[in-house]
Amino acid sequence: MEKQLSVPRHTIEPGHDDPSTPEKFRGMGYHELNALLNLYDEQGNIQFDADRQAARQYFLQHINNNTVFFHDLEEKLEYLVQHQYYEQEVFDQYSLDFVKELSKFAYSFKFRFPTFLGAFKFYTSYALKTFDGQRYLERFEDRVVMVALLLAEGNEELAKEIVKEVISGRFQPATPTFLNAGKKQRGELVSCFLLRIEDNMESIGRSINSALQLSKRGGGVAFALTNLREAGAPIKKIENQSSGVIPVMKLLEDSFSYANQLGARQGAGAVYLHAHHPDIYSFLDTKRENADEKIRIKTLSLGVVIPDITFELAKRNEDMYLFSPYDVERIYGVPFSDINVSEKYYEMVDDARIKKTKINAREFFTTLAEIQFESGYPYVMFEDTVNKANPIEGKVIMSNLCSEILQVSEPSKYHPDLGYETIGKDISCNLGSLNIALTMDGGDIGKTVNAAIRSLTSVSDQSDIRSVPSIERGNSMSHAVGLGQMNLHGFLARELIYYGSEEALDFTNIYFYTVTYHAIQASMEIARERGETFAGFENSDYANGAYFTKYIEKEWKPETARTAELFEGHHIPTQEDWKKLAADVAEHGMYNQNLQAVPPTGSISYINGSTSSIHPIASKIEIRKEGKLGRVYYPAPFMNNENLDYYQDAYEIGYEKIIDTYAVATQHVDQGLSLTLFFKDTATTRDVNKAQIYAWRKGIKTIYYSRIRQLALEGTEVEGCVSCML
Amino acid sequence: MSEKVELVHHVEAINWNRIEDEKDLEVWDRLTSNFWLPEKVPLSNDVQSWKTLTDEEKQLTMRVFTGLTLLDTIQGTVGAVSLLPDAITAHEEAVYTNIAFMESVHAKSYSSIFSTLCSTKEIDEVFRWSTENEHLQKKANIVMDYYQGDDPLKKKVASTLLESFLFYSGFYLPMYWSSHAKLTNTADLIRLIIRDEAVHGYYIGYKYQRALEKESPERQQELKDYTFDLLYELYENEVQYTHSLYDGVGLSEDVKKFLHYNANKALMNLGYEAMFPASVTNVSPAILSALSPNADENHDFFSGSGSSYVMGKAVNTEDEDWDF
Repeated sequence: MEKQLSVPRHTIEPGHDDPSTPEKFRGMGYHELNALLNLYDEQGNIQFDADRQAARQYFLQHINNNTVFFHDLEEKLEYLVQHQYYEQEVFDQYSLDFVKELSKFAYSFKFRFPTFLGAFKFYTSYALKTFDGQRYLERFEDRVVMVALLLAEGNEELAKEIVKEVISGRFQPATPTFLNAGKKQRGELVSCFLLRIEDNMESIGRSINSALQLSKRGGGVAFALTNLREAGAPIKKIENQSSGVIPVMKLLEDSFSYANQLGARQGAGAVYLHAHHPDIYSFLDTKRENADEKIRIKTLSLGVVIPDITFELAKRNEDMYLFSPYDVERIYGVPFSDINVSEKYYEMVDDARIKKTKINAREFFTTLAEIQFESGYPYVMFEDTVNKANPIEGKVIMSNLCSEILQVSEPSKYHPDLGYETIGKDISCNLGSLNIALTMDGGDIGKTVNAAIRSLTSVSDQSDIRSVPSIERGNSMSHAVGLGQMNLHGFLARELIYYGSEEALDFTNIYFYTVTYHAIQASMEIARERGETFAGFENSDYANGAYFTKYIEKEWKPETARTAELFEGHHIPTQEDWKKLAADVAEHGMYNQNLQAVPPTGSISYINGSTSSIHPIASKIEIRKEGKLGRVYYPAPFMNNENLDYYQDAYEIGYEKIIDTYAVATQHVDQGLSLTLFFKDTATTRDVNKAQIYAWRKGIKTIYYSRIRQLALEGTEVEGCVSCML
Repeated sequence: MSEKVELVHHVEAINWNRIEDEKDLEVWDRLTSNFWLPEKVPLSNDVQSWKTLTDEEKQLTMRVFTGLTLLDTIQGTVGAVSLLPDAITAHEEAVYTNIAFMESVHAKSYSSIFSTLCSTKEIDEVFRWSTENEHLQKKANIVMDYYQGDDPLKKKVASTLLESFLFYSGFYLPMYWSSHAKLTNTADLIRLIIRDEAVHGYYIGYKYQRALEKESPERQQELKDYTFDLLYELYENEVQYTHSLYDGVGLSEDVKKFLHYNANKALMNLGYEAMFPASVTNVSPAILSALSPNADENHDFFSGSGSSYVMGKAVNTEDEDWDF
């Protein structure tokens, strides 16, 4: 925590009134300067200079005075290792001269934070601080060097490559990696965990333990509740004994709020339930505004798994049957989640041994939308779309906290003392994102993707989650990584292209197409170098070549002149390239079971100075609220008072264009993409349903939050406020 | 608060299909879609942040919230209810009942904050403080007097000033904290209250203006003088209240600017010109930006629920929507 902030006065540090500060900004603190960004000046212009001044003053007034001084790097490293701030093991892999050289290299880029929020976020949440939390021990460059040293595992060339890609802003590792790399007192480097819960007390108990252990180490944890028997189901054949999924959700929620990663990141969790689970309505009702305290779920995120059959039933305006997981597992011999509900639906309806209840399918969708209005939840995973696109053998039954991870899993079996009878396969994924604008500017997409995939692979290799053996097993089998993308809207606007326009979709398509090629290429090369593939490669669509058909049989090239122009100087993979790659993959395999996943990129896109993910901006000047930051204002990248037109926000753009954009990207991404839907408060549940239907038809795999924007009633707004204007 | 509030004498069944004043429906829709309960906000996430405040800051925060509790109690149990007999349309009455109820929700919210962050002993102490603080009591008495008077327009003036002006010396603090990354969930809850109060003040002021149009020029002048007199009386007391609260932490000057800003806003709601010149209403931009009642922030879902969600309007899908 910052020392100054606890003193509630406007402290004006010496140097603040220096002559280089423009007259109108003198005497203002950095928070006030930053807030000016949200207020128009007298001429009706957005005050971008106020934010730059805020970033500058943040350094002058706060950072520089609170940074520990060392004479040189050697003294600094010695101190930090000795005092248990840095891990000795990281440095053991390199010579001191190389570390010095690398640090010098990092500083030579003259990195500056483009926004106040970027700097504020970095120093508040990422930079290494003294144990009392009062003083800073790292600058941005130092953090980047530590990340590179850790991830390169002694490979000097790779370390330089990573420094170059990260400090140039082309590649940004996800928070857990960027925050923790090289620190002695730290959480895990992995972002995300997904676990199954089976229908027995041992599995539930083990899940609570996993929730605690994994939250303690950082990252979000998601659980699939689909297999738990419903409320009122029999226990040991005695009817009306089970209390269903809600009490388990309560237990999980409390576990998450108890454990946080040394206070750095609040534990966060999600639970997924199948739409045809009998507890589906009570599951959704936990997010209602007027839900009773006993069942209300505040901080746990919810997701619903919807198969195609539910849409078919709604189309015909029929009832949808909900099936008792207890009976389904008894009869089919496999957990409910592993059943293909669309395929077995009528078989289960006709089976008298399966207890079932029914609700109206359209009413179900209306309820879903109502809850989304009130709470933003649940997320949605389109089960059949996901599984049809999945190149790996097995079934994807759930997603994660940000709805972009989509991997197969296997159940575990436990002894009564919670020991493992069979260790199943649970999911972890570490993420990192490319800044699309800077990657395009960089001129070598292949090189950037290669460095990124190698960094992410290294995180997977170095992760060893012993506290949850099913995760450990899953990771060592799959080496799954998730390369994401961000700053799409920033890039398009800078190039004076409207988000969602024909040119924008064309660009997005070719960009993702190109990235996919290089990602598979990189993974194949790692497999070749090490002579090792992910477990189950031989049963995947990569091995039998089915995956490559769409790239070999069809030519993918820019349809618009503008996109062709943007790709000038870049090589767009040809059908021949794909043929060669398919052959290489068949011969050498791939090291990573999964390669791409596009996360929502909150924090890291602020540090990186990009727009989030491949979404449109939420607002020209975004109001960011977070526990550790308070309310801070963030300007969209590359925006100035001349190109404002291209910075339409997500609410103006509307759901169709967003879904169209995601749809063209989705066809190249093996996992998922966090897709948020944005609505004005004039929307009704019907509009939300229409958007869901549209997304499903377009082949979208998952839907993340629904956000509603309500504008102040005319006559009650704050005058001159940028974020109030449309 | 034991005075009997006069009851409405004549009641007709309310017909929402015959709206006399469109504003009634617009505000009703807005208020109902804004419905919320304090349980929605994960206040307990602020416990750690609360511990980083100094004792003096904690005391200030608790006092500020007790002051707000008192005002919301008045507004919920007396204020909004006392406007009922003067309502011109049945829909206006309905809106007042909603306002009264939400004020009670607000009053209860402060208790949620207290019970989450403080011990019972501390809570009892600060409530005792509230009964003993002369400025706070004076403020309550002035407003109570007007509510018990029998001039319907004057009641509306008092009510608007309360909704749009008197609350804000208290609202300043949570906005200040949140702009400095403290008590951000508490600030979310307060922002929900501000969102409501902004509509309440606006609506009652609007009703005042409609009624004022029908009065004679002399009476209009009388009411205007009365408004400014009352505002000035409240303002003087509010300044002292502000000093008694905020001097210890050095924020009084900025809070006063905020008072001026909101006094002007209250007058605007009543259809009058501003009282304070722009030179004394230049509130810190961090506070002003935090005040926007728009539900438009892009919050981090993992650390709070934010203040932007609203109740949705359920409309069934039709066959054409399922055309695939």
